[in-house]
Amino acid sequence: MRVSTANTYDIGITLLQRRQSELSEAQAQLTSGKRVQRASDDPVGAARAERALAGASRVVADQRTAQSSETIMVQTESTLGDAGELMQQAREAVIAAGNATYGAAERAGLAEKLKQIRDQLFKVANRSDGAGTYLFGGQGSTQPPLVDSRPNASVPTEQTGVRFVGSRGNSQTEAGSNLPLALDGAAVWTSARTGNGVFETRATGTNGGAWIDAGVVTNPTAITGNTYSVVYNSATSQFDISNTSTVPATALPAQNYVSGQAIEFDGMSLTITGKPLNGETFNVLPSTSTLNVFGVLDKAVSDLGTPKSGSALAQVIGDNLRNIDSAMGKLQAARSMAGEAMARIESEVGQLATQKLNYDTDRANAEDLDMVEAISRFDSKQTGYDAALKSYSMVQRMSLFQYLNV
Amino acid sequence: MGTGALMALGTRAMFANYAALQATSNNIANANTEGYSRQQVDLQTAGGQFTGAGFFGKGVDVATVMRSHNEFLTREAVGTRSTAAADKALSEQLQQLEKVFTTGEGGIGYAVGRVFNAFADVATKPQDTSARQVVLSRTNELAARFRTASEQVTSLQAGVTQDLKASVNAVNGLARQIASLNQQIASVQGFGHTPNDLLDQRDTALGKLSELMQVSTVGADDGTVSVFIGGGQKLVLGSIATEMSTVKDRFDPSKLQIGIRDAGIDRELPTSLLTGGSIAGLVRFQNNDLIDARNQLGQLAQAVAAQLNGQQALGLDLTQKAGGPLLSLAAPRVLPASNNTGGATVAVTINNATQARASDYELSRDSAGAYSLRRLSDNHTFGTPELPALTPALLASGVQVDGLTIRVTSAAQPAVGDRFLLQPVAVAGRDLKLALDDPRGIAAASPISASVSLDNQGTVGIDGLSVLTPISAPATAVQFRFAVDATTQATTYTYSTDGGATFSATPLPLSANQPITWPVGSATPEWSLALRGTPANGDRLTVGPTPVPSSNNGNANALLSLRDVRMVGAEVNNQTGAVAFEASSFSDAYSNILSTFGVRVQTAKSLASNSAVVAEQAKSLASNTSGVNLDEEAARLIQFQQSYQAAAKMLQVAQSVFDTLLATAGG
Repeated sequence: MRVSTANTYDIGITLLQRRQSELSEAQAQLTSGKRVQRASDDPVGAARAERALAGASRVVADQRTAQSSETIMVQTESTLGDAGELMQQAREAVIAAGNATYGAAERAGLAEKLKQIRDQLFKVANRSDGAGTYLFGGQGSTQPPLVDSRPNASVPTEQTGVRFVGSRGNSQTEAGSNLPLALDGAAVWTSARTGNGVFETRATGTNGGAWIDAGVVTNPTAITGNTYSVVYNSATSQFDISNTSTVPATALPAQNYVSGQAIEFDGMSLTITGKPLNGETFNVLPSTSTLNVFGVLDKAVSDLGTPKSGSALAQVIGDNLRNIDSAMGKLQAARSMAGEAMARIESEVGQLATQKLNYDTDRANAEDLDMVEAISRFDSKQTGYDAALKSYSMVQRMSLFQYLNV
Repeated sequence: MGTGALMALGTRAMFANYAALQATSNNIANANTEGYSRQQVDLQTAGGQFTGAGFFGKGVDVATVMRSHNEFLTREAVGTRSTAAADKALSEQLQQLEKVFTTGEGGIGYAVGRVFNAFADVATKPQDTSARQVVLSRTNELAARFRTASEQVTSLQAGVTQDLKASVNAVNGLARQIASLNQQIASVQGFGHTPNDLLDQRDTALGKLSELMQVSTVGADDGTVSVFIGGGQKLVLGSIATEMSTVKDRFDPSKLQIGIRDAGIDRELPTSLLTGGSIAGLVRFQNNDLIDARNQLGQLAQAVAAQLNGQQALGLDLTQKAGGPLLSLAAPRVLPASNNTGGATVAVTINNATQARASDYELSRDSAGAYSLRRLSDNHTFGTPELPALTPALLASGVQVDGLTIRVTSAAQPAVGDRFLLQPVAVAGRDLKLALDDPRGIAAASPISASVSLDNQGTVGIDGLSVLTPISAPATAVQFRFAVDATTQATTYTYSTDGGATFSATPLPLSANQPITWPVGSATPEWSLALRGTPANGDRLTVGPTPVPSSNNGNANALLSLRDVRMVGAEVNNQTGAVAFEASSFSDAYSNILSTFGVRVQTAKSLASNSAVVAEQAKSLASNTSGVNLDEEAARLIQFQQSYQAAAKMLQVAQSVFDTLLATAGG
């Protein structure tokens, strides 16, 4: 076949250029380390890498969120630990106040100590994370979320004390992970259960001869949730019991009184000790979630600050211990909630790290270059280009004119 | 027989060989001339002279000079060149366009994700201005990326326009050249010899022309060649060239279409007639790929902006007002055709950005009573029962289609033949701007918040409270009370709007995982509350205005959640309103755009390289027939030189014969 000289040159040049551009493409890949430089290099791979990148950057955001949540929960947990210790000190003070050898002066001293404890606890409860978030600010609070409230005659002292002024509820991260960002101050500090958690026994102001304990539940299914009054009748040496929730009040069978022996009705068991006076009245109310940690201390301070003796003293010591225990229980529960949140955050952080790794791996698989393969391909391209140059120069050098000595 | 015969034979042979040497030298001289066909001298015997002893040859004659040319191969080379040029133009433009859709950290998808993810920090610290500032600067960057991408598309369009103008000028120049060559060829036709160089020039011009535009040729008896473009439209007829022109697109004057000047009037050529050549590649790129790119960008911009602005409006900013828009973008554009006569105006509004398609639409009035609406991306004409018949009354009140409302806003009705190009999303990316410059304006707080009663005995908790429609302040405080039936354990709830004093009379059933919406039973509820855990009998829950919005993060969480919201490109059944094709999240949507254009570029590249190879082969075949081979010419040079020498020897012999005769006769 005959060939055209000019065309041979043209083809030779085109081929050399093509090889050169392939070589430079391979070199660009090697330099950047990316197999996919543009979407057209591998459309599917590029899309996959893009999704993995979006995933990785969302994981990074989630990681920061989890860290914030963790910082706050660590502080919350230790804060609640501090609060528990303070409450323990308060409890010891109240127990000490029950010491029969103490006089009014010693008890007043203990009341003073309790006041200090309350002040400290107040600071603890309004602690912030140092960056503007109150640990117990709930769903948002720009000022310390707990403020002292004025005593209110219609509410018992232990159920007032401080007021929550933030937004109720726990502040959380995005739906899905739902990590806590601040606990609900109202739930932690103002909502312990009154009494023993099911009902509350309350001595009335007219009493003086006997005192009542917190009571226990003997039959949960028989609990009615009603209010009762238990009145001593010295004529019969019996306690008359009536359910005052009904109108008119329903009388229950009267029970004989023996000091220290349990009185049982409607699934509840109460123990009254001492020498009750005629008409001495004890009320039994359903428990509510209204016990205020600070109110509890306020009540203890006021009870210990007022000189008392005998059964009245026994009654206030017993009541205050019951209240402090309930408040401590609530703080403990909140502390374990924070602890549980920390555990959850930890597992979330671990999961996020795994996810991040997966996304990064996915992206690398989709668009990164296999260096070994790339280098060997580059080498073979180089060899090809070299051979093309050599053969081109050799072939094009040959011409009949060289052999003619015309 | 005289010695003159020998002399004449020698002279003739010398002349013939000299001519052959001349042709060979011309070949060598033109070895690198583009379009040159190898020429060779056609030698033939001069005939015999009859004598008693038979016929004696009278020597050699130069019949003509021929060019080595294969009509079929030349035509093949021209045709494949045309296809290759179209593919190359499209591939080059697409590779430019691909740069608009950057992958990885430099891309738009990444920037969108960064905006959404920035709300994570706002959600953890709603009162922190620096976290809010980050949102603003990332949003600004996102808007800038959309604008840059749109500008790139616009400048590509400008480049195409320039190229088309230059190409059409070149076509006209070549057409005139061919016409004038036709005339010259026809004028020398009568000489009986082929005008080789003119033919070569004409073939070259035809090759160049077909690189710009695919043409077909028909030869005439007078040697002229008539040139036709797609569909039999004449470009060159004999010695008359028709003028091609660029015509401004009837809707968008920044676009050009190809036209032909007929009796002084520019007539637009249907795009389908342009089958090959770089002009066809450019027009195809302009009419398909650029429009798609613009619409895809706009669709994403529209969806992202609508979601961000919509969610902003549902929350409260630091000044306790409903959040203002975060991004501003251009309204949909309607372009009336330049030859409309009715004077009507048409408007498009986007009702649902998620359902907006990446497409333009065309509304036209075909006859007195009939309007037609066409979606251009898939060339779908809307008809009944998909849409009710398009009447002037319906168009005046607005027709709902693909998440859009199309409306004739003027009292004047479009005249018959009037057409409108509707671009719902095409310009959305172009003018995307940050609309908020005060970090306090970010609506991080939810106007309402939910909390469970402290007295609750059950485990019911708040899983999520989402605001669905803007709530006018102050929000209603609603208390819900749950009741659990002692025997069936079925849960019901009642609600109170007066702080728990009176509750609704009829208990409403509550199944597991069922969200509570407000107002209860409304088709367009204000909010929806997802619960977790189970309520005990008598448990309560309150949803009310957020007491301290400045440090609430409810809406920031919702803004963050947009990263998972399927927000782009839902397809609805226009008849039933049901979603026929789920929308994609922003990252899936951007990945899809990437791979769509990636595939187009890949296909165009491989087509271009294939057709280039085919064209190269065809060109090689043609030029191997007609091109000059220097070795061959060297050999011919020797051959004819020797023949010439031999002929000269003949003269010498003739002279010596004559001398001998003279000497003999004279002696």
